Amino acid sequence: MKRVMIAGLLVAGGCLAADDEAGKKALRTQCVACHSLRLVESQRLSAAAWGKEIDKMVGWGAVVQDRSLLLDYLASEYSNTKPVPKPDMSR
Amino acid sequence: MDGGDGYALKFLMMKTQNYQPSRRAALASMFAMTAVAHSATAEDPVAIAGKRPMILHNDRPEDLETPLAYFDQWITPNDAFFVRQHLPRPVIEEASYRVAIGGRTERQMKLSLAELRKLPQHKLPAVLECTGNGRGFYQPRVPGVQWGRGAVGNAEWSGPRLVDVLKLAGADLTAAYVTVNGADVGVAKTPDFIRSMVMRKAVDPNTILAMNMNGERLPDLHGFPLRMVVPGWDGTSWVKWVNSLVVSNEQDKGFFMDPAYRFPKHPGLPGQPVDRADLELIEGMPVKSYITAPADGDKLPMAGAVLRGMAWAGEEHVTKVDVSTDGGSTWTAAQLSEKSLPYTWRLWKTEWRPVQTGFYTVMSRATDSAGRVQPIVSRWNPSGYLFNAIDRVGVVVEAGA
Repeated sequence: MKRVMIAGLLVAGGCLAADDEAGKKALRTQCVACHSLRLVESQRLSAAAWGKEIDKMVGWGAVVQDRSLLLDYLASEYSNTKPVPKPDMSR
Repeated sequence: MDGGDGYALKFLMMKTQNYQPSRRAALASMFAMTAVAHSATAEDPVAIAGKRPMILHNDRPEDLETPLAYFDQWITPNDAFFVRQHLPRPVIEEASYRVAIGGRTERQMKLSLAELRKLPQHKLPAVLECTGNGRGFYQPRVPGVQWGRGAVGNAEWSGPRLVDVLKLAGADLTAAYVTVNGADVGVAKTPDFIRSMVMRKAVDPNTILAMNMNGERLPDLHGFPLRMVVPGWDGTSWVKWVNSLVVSNEQDKGFFMDPAYRFPKHPGLPGQPVDRADLELIEGMPVKSYITAPADGDKLPMAGAVLRGMAWAGEEHVTKVDVSTDGGSTWTAAQLSEKSLPYTWRLWKTEWRPVQTGFYTVMSRATDSAGRVQPIVSRWNPSGYLFNAIDRVGVVVEAGA
């Protein structure tokens, strides 16, 4: 029983990691036509606010292949519960 | 970042410095590279031509914030001045550049830069502040460039008055609006950046089409060859790369007039959406001040220090800056320098001798000729505009400092 549970956790963990990678890839390919990634990475927003941002950008021509994949990634990676990063300086 | 990405990144930055958005091929290659290269790392920082190191919010297009330490003089130098761009910078050809004037005018005109230079030139200092300056301080957080304090600067601008340009074309000055467009265009389906201004402000003798900034040719990033200077109004009206003026009784209906750059008429609940009908156009700026010295976290000696900063108030005059060194319990009036002028900022200073060592919260609070006073808490709004809360820094006074 214990072994089954561990196997289950491993599978779930593997899926999460795969989604995470796919979400990251989506961000880095689908959200950079008009602006640099810095603009995304500096935000700290709720899932609802991220949803609105995605819809606004799609309205402006962004091609998002899997909205829920991208939304889950943004809402977890750049959540309003996470600390705000200090911006880089230009050279 | 692996070696391949690093190479792609260097290539991207090479491209970024020569970024020419109207050339499709360059764009396509940029996008392809960006898909591989993510944001620059500390080891591989972005250089911005014509700028000192700036706080980098976005390198494509450039959104650059002035570090507080650069505000050590009345005029903000061009190489330290903040940059906000909604859209990629257009490619400008000086010789063929024309500004078109049309709509409710006796004649359609296209004026060259040489013709604009022949008009009487007006020069004035004025503060330019991004409407979203300080957005990063709002709680709950709102989307947009997460500006701290430095999306503001004070420069001396010169160029022909907008009213003189309008009169050349025989514009109907009883019309309601002048709609201003620049040479920049939207990427993909991003809306074009177009702004309408009420005629009252358009014909104001201090509203100019600037060709120079701090005595130099207007820098490319600041709208060369021509940008609106709308003194006392927020930066959104200061359209860059101006190439079209249309006199009309209608306000432009684009995104950048509505719903963007609007403020709720009634104070709503922080974090809650606001009905579009309850938003009104922003025309002007609130009263505001900064402490530029000491810096947050500085160590000061018991002998004391001169506290310094600046204050500005849109179309009003700054009449008073009060300073507190005890977290706002007591306030004393600071000394104001420079003439009392609207549009530009006034420097302030006051000497401070602490009575004992320890941690102090230093605060500044400006009052203007309309009786407006900086609030303790700036009113939350869904787009994070017009932040103007009382400024504060924390300092430590040490016996041996």
